[in-house]
Amino acid sequence: MSNAPGSVLLEMKGIGKTFPGVKALQGVNLSVRAGQVHALLGENGAGKSTLIKILSGAYSKDEGQIFFEGKPVEIKSPQDAQALGISTIYQEFNLAPHLTIAENIFLGHLPKKGGLVDWATAKARAAEILSGLGVDLSVDATTATLSVAQQQIVEIAKALNRKTRVLIMDEPSAVLSEKDLENLFRVVRTLQKEGIGIIYISHRLKEIFELADEVTVLKDGRYVDTRAVADVTMDDLVRLMIGRDLQDVYPKRTAEPGAVLFEAKNVARSKLVHDVSFQVHAGEIIGFAGITGSGRTELMRTIFGADPYSGDMQIDGKPYKPRSPQDAIKHGVALVTEDRKGQGLLLKLPVFTNTTISGLKRLTRGGIINLRAELELVKTMIRQLSIKTPSPQFMVVNMSGGNQQKVILARWLSVGTRIFIMDEPTRGIDVGSKSEIYQIMADLTKQGVGIIMISSELPEVLGMSDRIMVMREGTIVKELARAEASEERIMYYAVGSESA
Amino acid sequence: MSAVVSTVTKRRSSLLSIVRGSPVMGPLAALILACIFFSFKTDRFLTGANLSLILQQVMVVGTLAIGQTLVILTSGIDLSNGSVMALGGVVMTSLAVDHGLNPVLAILLGILVCILFGVMNGALVTGIRLPAFIVTLGTLNIAYALTRIYTTETISGLPSLLLFFGNTFKIGTTQITYGSVLMLVLYAITWFVLRSTPAGRSVYAVGDNPEAARLAGINTTRVLIGVYTTAALTYGIAALLLVARTGVGDPQAGQTSNLESITAVVLGGTSLFGGRGTIIGTLIGALIVGVFRNGLQLMGVESIYQVLITGILVIAAVSIDQLSHRK
Repeated sequence: MSNAPGSVLLEMKGIGKTFPGVKALQGVNLSVRAGQVHALLGENGAGKSTLIKILSGAYSKDEGQIFFEGKPVEIKSPQDAQALGISTIYQEFNLAPHLTIAENIFLGHLPKKGGLVDWATAKARAAEILSGLGVDLSVDATTATLSVAQQQIVEIAKALNRKTRVLIMDEPSAVLSEKDLENLFRVVRTLQKEGIGIIYISHRLKEIFELADEVTVLKDGRYVDTRAVADVTMDDLVRLMIGRDLQDVYPKRTAEPGAVLFEAKNVARSKLVHDVSFQVHAGEIIGFAGITGSGRTELMRTIFGADPYSGDMQIDGKPYKPRSPQDAIKHGVALVTEDRKGQGLLLKLPVFTNTTISGLKRLTRGGIINLRAELELVKTMIRQLSIKTPSPQFMVVNMSGGNQQKVILARWLSVGTRIFIMDEPTRGIDVGSKSEIYQIMADLTKQGVGIIMISSELPEVLGMSDRIMVMREGTIVKELARAEASEERIMYYAVGSESA
Repeated sequence: MSAVVSTVTKRRSSLLSIVRGSPVMGPLAALILACIFFSFKTDRFLTGANLSLILQQVMVVGTLAIGQTLVILTSGIDLSNGSVMALGGVVMTSLAVDHGLNPVLAILLGILVCILFGVMNGALVTGIRLPAFIVTLGTLNIAYALTRIYTTETISGLPSLLLFFGNTFKIGTTQITYGSVLMLVLYAITWFVLRSTPAGRSVYAVGDNPEAARLAGINTTRVLIGVYTTAALTYGIAALLLVARTGVGDPQAGQTSNLESITAVVLGGTSLFGGRGTIIGTLIGALIVGVFRNGLQLMGVESIYQVLITGILVIAAVSIDQLSHRK
């Protein structure tokens, strides 16, 4: 499958974007030719989403230039992007579920005749686009009745109807089964033949080799390189994605694992997790690596009693059957959720409420909270974890990510947690607070606490873990000791490239 | 000397910051301004007798608003409270008068009927996860219908115990109704429970973010059922106050009380989205409505204009609250 390289349609040069406190993008280049599939590759947080949001007009860039067919352009709004013929298909579809396929394809600009909607033309044109994509769907079908894969096709048809020149696809394969994937590839190749430039984002290296002509790699918001897919190997790409220096932010610690604290045997949860068995010793940090959707978060919620499960779990060799988070907390298990604002903090409430909400029993005598003891406890926590807050009454919503995370840690420390589950403990946190949180984790292990850490940042996994569990498709596919682990090896098992 | 000055200014500034940060501040300022306004407009306003009358006039809605505040703090809403109160009132009066039941028992059974409605509201909100608006819209109609099926007659000739909270005692020359005192005591208890008990904290947590509250180890189902049940207990007490104030069991009573109680809560600065608000704010909100009604009446303004002004007040209060939070 060779495509004569068309002319350059879109070029981004030296793109930079700064959010308060974070440099999200710096000096990023990307160029897409007509009829080319250009893959955009990078770890979580590498800046892919920010880049495509700039291209689709959702964000505005702070630095750099964008050229369309050689002419400099400014994309300040989604309308600007649309006028240039740039369309984006996000993972979350943008369809009206109760309208028909034809109505969705023409949403907002139905053809009119004499002031009325010209349904005949609309339906004929919609049918034409769909058959052009080689898809057999009735234009009168209601969108809600379609499968996810079919809805994706409707999104693509919608983009085509808007005279799309550049199509951005944000992880289109993440929601598809193997069979639907074949169909998607076929559709993408059809678009390619029509001369559309495609920016294709995916974690799955296999797809990139199957579909893309060129690949651009981002890392920590910076541009790494652009290569022709024919000239690189899978290992090259993995190295480009993760090959960064291990910063010296990880505390030096020698693990002294004690007795087995926690054990899971054949734990499963509906379709998302199956056959998971592992042990955590006192004083140990177990890192869980894997790509998004590998079942890590689901597994941890299960251990915390937040979701129903099957299988056996033990704490200190005794059966542990958590039916609710309350049960788990009673057994000394705590979960620091990945979604700090949505599932961790009580955002409209102050620091002290957030800190003591899980441990009020310890502060209560005769049904009444000892407010003075509560305040003392909170002040002690603020000191110990150096939480930056003007007062215990300060609202957590106004704090930085790092300090918010420390409030959550304080909450669990104050109830005597022995098994700490931390899901992406440093996500969205600046480097300074990160190393403080790592230090807190190291101190905890010295006290005999066992830590289970999920992280999508490989340096963090390698820097903190004593043992590493790699999960893929709902189960642990590989256990690596710290000494034998490397970013390449973890990535290799996480993306399942041995099957390539 | 300068040290003294600086501690004084320091204390003042910290006091100011507490006052400025307190959500009760806006409603309190509005209440004080309204009182000042009416004292200038009519010299009959600022008398002990009149202020006591205002308290007596707000005691029923004020008590309903306690339960309403609890429900709204969990980001719910209770439309049924007025008709549940009417049912409770009719049950307690008819048991005592028509069936000659011991008045204490009659009162308790009336309150129990209200509590059963609370349990039903809570079970439907948590069990089937229906929106509180829908559930209480349903129970509003059920309670109203049951009341009218039970009796369409006004029940009078009540034993004295049912009228007790309508009686007054004297402080100096001012007559104070026992019912007003009961309402204030209920506010004090609720204030303490919300501030100083694990249950009170859980109400705020569940209202702020139910999933985060659950993952923090709170049994959210128990909290919600507890809130709807406790709220219904205040409706039962409100029924007793209503009976005592009017001297009858009236099947037509309470038809607009649900909205009046919501008005008090909203004027008191409690967010309809849950997790933010205070019980003291609700008391102030109830008093604001009471003061306006009373003051306008004393000025000879027609009652329909009192309703008009209440409407304007609600929109103004919530707009100010929204704008001040937007920054």
